[in-house]
Amino acid sequence: MGRKFNVLLVDDSRTVLAQLERILSDIEDLAIVGMANNGAAAIRMTNESMPDLVLMDIVMPGLDGLSALRTIKSMHPEIQVAMVSSVSGNATKAEEAFRLGACQVLGKPFDAEVIEALIESARASVCAEESRGGKGAAS
Amino acid sequence: MSIKFFGQFLIDQGEVDASHVREALGLMDAENATISALAIKQGFMSHKDVTRVNAEQRSRDRAFGDLAVEMGLLQPGQLVEVLQRQRSQRLPIGQALVRLGYLQTDRLGVLLDAYKVDQSEFEVSQCELPDGLASHRLGHCVLDLLPRFLMRVAGIQAKTGAIRGFDGAPGFAEVRVSVSLRGARGLEVALASDLEFAEALATAASGLEPADLDPEMIADGVGEFLNVLGGNAASAMAKEGHATELGPPDYEAELCDGWIVDLAVGVGRAALVLSTF
Repeated sequence: MGRKFNVLLVDDSRTVLAQLERILSDIEDLAIVGMANNGAAAIRMTNESMPDLVLMDIVMPGLDGLSALRTIKSMHPEIQVAMVSSVSGNATKAEEAFRLGACQVLGKPFDAEVIEALIESARASVCAEESRGGKGAAS
Repeated sequence: MSIKFFGQFLIDQGEVDASHVREALGLMDAENATISALAIKQGFMSHKDVTRVNAEQRSRDRAFGDLAVEMGLLQPGQLVEVLQRQRSQRLPIGQALVRLGYLQTDRLGVLLDAYKVDQSEFEVSQCELPDGLASHRLGHCVLDLLPRFLMRVAGIQAKTGAIRGFDGAPGFAEVRVSVSLRGARGLEVALASDLEFAEALATAASGLEPADLDPEMIADGVGEFLNVLGGNAASAMAKEGHATELGPPDYEAELCDGWIVDLAVGVGRAALVLSTF
């Protein structure tokens, strides 16, 4: 894609943010453009940084992940959002996330390989979109 | 690995992608009747009753059926009948994917078997619990899953020990964090531990060195473990048909009643405090 793949991390747990940061730091041509700890901050930081991918928790204080997902996808349908949550095994939550446009719904605890595979898949989608003339093609 | 729903399992296996799952969910939405529609069809509720319950739901986060019963608009037996009918008539996601041509029927059977094997690690069994907690299915889930997730998240061996009525916070409880699980029968799950156990949990969960952990991060690691435990317990309950909502961790947990569950852990000291609400 000729540029770094930009990721925004959203989780109310510093532990999870540290874990994700550690996993993503090993991936080439990837930049973490921000870290948010609730849904409202996620929306604001998405608007500011326009990441390629948002990795977001579901259960958070204040605005939760599903509400933030709805807002982000309505404003920026081209941005990919993957939910990473301990409640993803609940079909109602997972189905809602997919309905709202999540590209993936992953459970907690997660392994580094699962996150790496998700990044690879999301990056491939962005590349395909850009080759069709979508987001980032001109940048 | 965690508890996952079948659609996610199919994506993980590379059988379908998110857009296929989304399309299948659309088909299910079109074909699966809601509780309110079935209650009207059965003659248990009127359109006016349904409107009243829907209005109440705007201010209260409760399932339609539970609220209808609470408001006296549906009898508990009628709710059971409606739920059974809904379940028996429900188009499941695997069948929806077959109908849409994304899966073959014989392949679906193979994948359902593989899914059962994949999720067998998280099957919840009944354990012996004291009066007041014995019939609390969520309590069984939490206690049964706890050793498995402690091993999975932090590589800490654990075994649940004696359960007794709350008689004061354990003397070693330097770190206290809780999460609430709201449902028909709510449960507050608190983990009380010494610093050694909490540090081991936070180190394993974050991947940071112990020297890089501040007190807030240590408590956060315990909170994240409770989030994983509570979230997966809620998912297990959902699979059994009981809607359960997980709240974010509370780092100022007050331990004041309920039951104390001694934990024999490989590192430090820890206990679980369960309170119903």
